Amino acid sequence: MKNSFNILIKSPKFMLGAGIFIVMLALVLIFPMINRKDPLEMIALAFQPPSSQLWLGSDNFGRDLFLELMYGIQTSIRVGLIAGVFATAIGLIIGLASGYIGGIVDNLLTSITNIFIVIPSFIILILISVSINSRSSLVTAIIIGITSWPWTARAVRAQTSSLRNRDHVHIAKISGHSTPRIIVFEILPYIASYVVMAFVLQTASGILSEASISMLGLGPYNTISLGIIMNWALVFEAPVAGAWWAFIPAALSIALITFSLYMMNTGMDEIFNPKIRS
Amino acid sequence: MNAYAKYFVKKLFWYLVTLVIAVSLNFFLPRMIEGNPVAMIVSQMTKGMTDSDTIKRVYETFIQEFGVDKPLWQQFLIYVQNLFTGNLGTSFGLYPKKVTDILASAVPWTIGLQLPAILVGWILGNVLGAVAAYKKGVFDKVIFPVALFVNSIPFFTLAIIMLYVFALTLGWFPLSGGYDFQMIPQLSFEFIGSVIRHHTLPFLSIVLVTIGGQAIGMREMSIYELNADYVLYSKLLGIRDSRISRYVFRNAMLPQITGLALSIGTMVGGSLICEIVFSYPGIGTWLFTAIRQLDYPLISGCTLLIALSVLLANFTIDIIYGFIDPRIKASQMEDQ
Amino acid sequence: MTTNILEVSGLKTYYKTRLKEKVFAVDGVDFVLEEGKTLGIAGESGCGKSTLALSLMGFYFPPLHYGSGSIQIHGRDIMKLSKEQLRTQISGREIAYIPQAAMNALNPTLRIIRFIEDIMKEHRPELTKKQVWDMAVERFETLNLSPKVLRSYPNELSGGMKQRTVIAISTILNPKVLIADEPTSALDVTSQKAVIKLMKDLLDKQFIRSLVFITHELPLLYHVTDDIMVMYAGEIVERGTAEQMIFDPLHPYTKKLMGSIIVPEEGMKGHKLAAIPGTPPNLKHVPAGCRFAERCSYAQDQCRENNVAVKEVDGRQYRCHFDTGTLKEWYANEQS
Repeated sequence: MKNSFNILIKSPKFMLGAGIFIVMLALVLIFPMINRKDPLEMIALAFQPPSSQLWLGSDNFGRDLFLELMYGIQTSIRVGLIAGVFATAIGLIIGLASGYIGGIVDNLLTSITNIFIVIPSFIILILISVSINSRSSLVTAIIIGITSWPWTARAVRAQTSSLRNRDHVHIAKISGHSTPRIIVFEILPYIASYVVMAFVLQTASGILSEASISMLGLGPYNTISLGIIMNWALVFEAPVAGAWWAFIPAALSIALITFSLYMMNTGMDEIFNPKIRS
Repeated sequence: MNAYAKYFVKKLFWYLVTLVIAVSLNFFLPRMIEGNPVAMIVSQMTKGMTDSDTIKRVYETFIQEFGVDKPLWQQFLIYVQNLFTGNLGTSFGLYPKKVTDILASAVPWTIGLQLPAILVGWILGNVLGAVAAYKKGVFDKVIFPVALFVNSIPFFTLAIIMLYVFALTLGWFPLSGGYDFQMIPQLSFEFIGSVIRHHTLPFLSIVLVTIGGQAIGMREMSIYELNADYVLYSKLLGIRDSRISRYVFRNAMLPQITGLALSIGTMVGGSLICEIVFSYPGIGTWLFTAIRQLDYPLISGCTLLIALSVLLANFTIDIIYGFIDPRIKASQMEDQ
Repeated sequence: MTTNILEVSGLKTYYKTRLKEKVFAVDGVDFVLEEGKTLGIAGESGCGKSTLALSLMGFYFPPLHYGSGSIQIHGRDIMKLSKEQLRTQISGREIAYIPQAAMNALNPTLRIIRFIEDIMKEHRPELTKKQVWDMAVERFETLNLSPKVLRSYPNELSGGMKQRTVIAISTILNPKVLIADEPTSALDVTSQKAVIKLMKDLLDKQFIRSLVFITHELPLLYHVTDDIMVMYAGEIVERGTAEQMIFDPLHPYTKKLMGSIIVPEEGMKGHKLAAIPGTPPNLKHVPAGCRFAERCSYAQDQCRENNVAVKEVDGRQYRCHFDTGTLKEWYANEQS
């Protein structure tokens, strides 16, 4: 584990991604401590261009967009991480059960996984979000998490079922170790890198999903996320008003966060998956 | 029964199961909240209306169409029965327009936008990815990071940026809609020209993002195939490199077809939001409007239609794939 | 009079690691193969025998690189040819190769006959498709392989069948030398026998003139090849006839490789390499002196200090400081 970490540090792709991500995270966590104003307070006229006072201008309600952006990035990352945790955990449990137990359980779980891979998850996301009245950002994150596990489940299942027939697992079985013990000590360590990579990807896709449903107007209430900023910009026709500052910074922030996560993932992939090493 | 027929039947069965589940989700999910959810939605939407006669009519139509006063299982039967007769209810927002009619007017726009965009993006992305893997060196070092960055830009982000740069600032393309408002849809050069100009930006934004993701996948597949044993063996038998690259391209390309099937759901979702950005008169924009107006039957109709088309697209790709990739055929034979 | 079909001298090839170090897996190999003779190469895994097999083909793919030395086929040094000359004149025509993992050596999406057609397009472009077909059918029938195989995809064939097909394809141009890298090691006993029989057929029918057979199962070579060479840490440590090598080994490593086999016919069947304590040296840091000294039970100080030259006694060669008398005496003492 320590060894893998040392190799990771040497991967320029991983370090670039991790660097961008950490800098952004630090910025959005520290800035609100310095500027303690309420991001929802209306302090200027609508769609004021960027100035020394308002670094990124104001939105349609006359709110400070830079401050909104800081909170928006914070919410988006938080939603992404929570969704990532849920999706990875569900995927891991289903994948492990399916791959390790095998037989009928495997057939059943694999079929369910395949079905939910084909049914677009954002449709389920829309259907649930439409039905729930009070959506906090936590609820949104959980909904995203429980609709995006199938990919992880499929990958974990494939890994687990090939590990199941390895010698060290057989030895553990013959030695009378319990199933949970075998899973924790003989299976998990071997798929740990895949799980971490899946988590990173799930976080990225969680951030994108939040942005997508917020754009549709189904985002969390009483909070600011990057998708919500863009939803406001679209609903109040910021592009037509020429107010690029109302949506381009938010749009680029999403791209930058997901890019940094993809970079981390690619860096890890090149290290842990020798097949694609060129 | 030969191997392919078996494969076909098996796939058909699973897609039917998936279809049933998709339809059930579409029905049950919104009805699973506490209380009488549909009535709540109705009351929510009617809050915005002042004309009490209209409220009553909308509500009664809804109760009648979906049998909201009956037990849940009966409602489901009514729902399924309505589906078979092509009846998706009446829109709240555009009362008394039928949901089916609204969707029918939107489908050609969505298909006209997404089908060519996804296919073009897919083909270009695969070619670029293969070239990046094969040429390596500088070419790979440029294409790969660019593709990775483009791939991490959400569909709608790129759409918004393109809208701002090319439509607003440069004024090269129109801002929104599927054609000029003052025109009447007809088969004239002027009208078609207008459609094409409105089509360009949303089309390009979908193509670009699709290229990114596909190029990355194809590059990975090609590198994997280039290291395969048959490449070395073929070289050592004196087969020229151009022919071997054809083997590699073909073998790397075939799994990309399944890749297309699996990512088509995400792509369609992303493209729908592109439509919203450009107010393109397709399903996505209707969904956006429906959500804002809490037009429940229209939302439900949109989600069902999208789910069904994604299923159909997947099924089609799976069937074609099984036909052209001998590796699939062989694995089916082993199953027997 | 016999002619030398393959003459290798001073061949050095190396792998370049990611840290740009050179690891010589073939470190100064000399040997001669006469026309009509068969040669076995044995050794533990990691001793460089597979690399030698690949190196003999004259094509080098990163991370494997050519260092120095010559490979002559009928007196023509193939290392002096351009890549294009090598591809069109030598690969598959003069010298052919059967890779270690023949299971994956065939392009999974190409029918066998299409692959044979592709080979013919390179080497016999004047043949029509029909002629290629007739020729392939005739060759497969001669070798007791069903012509049905020709119309199959690789994945439709069993492991043993695939291996025999690869051998038939490799030799379809009647190459003078066939280099087979562990052609039997992934197979069950029945398939192994079939493969060995096929090799003998090829030699009897003079489709190939000479064979180099690489394996980690030294005893297997007794039935297949005239001569045996044992490799250790990138060097040839001993060469002699199969009879001599198995019943009267000189080099302590060969002796160890054979373990304690006394009764060859019965005792040898299915007998794999006896485990030798320790592992071959890391080729990144080759020890001074005799490379086997570290694991050799007879090693003395001079073994660890002085490099060893090849000794030639009664037409056999071995690489050890001690003369045959001393070695035989030691071995005899050990027996008793």
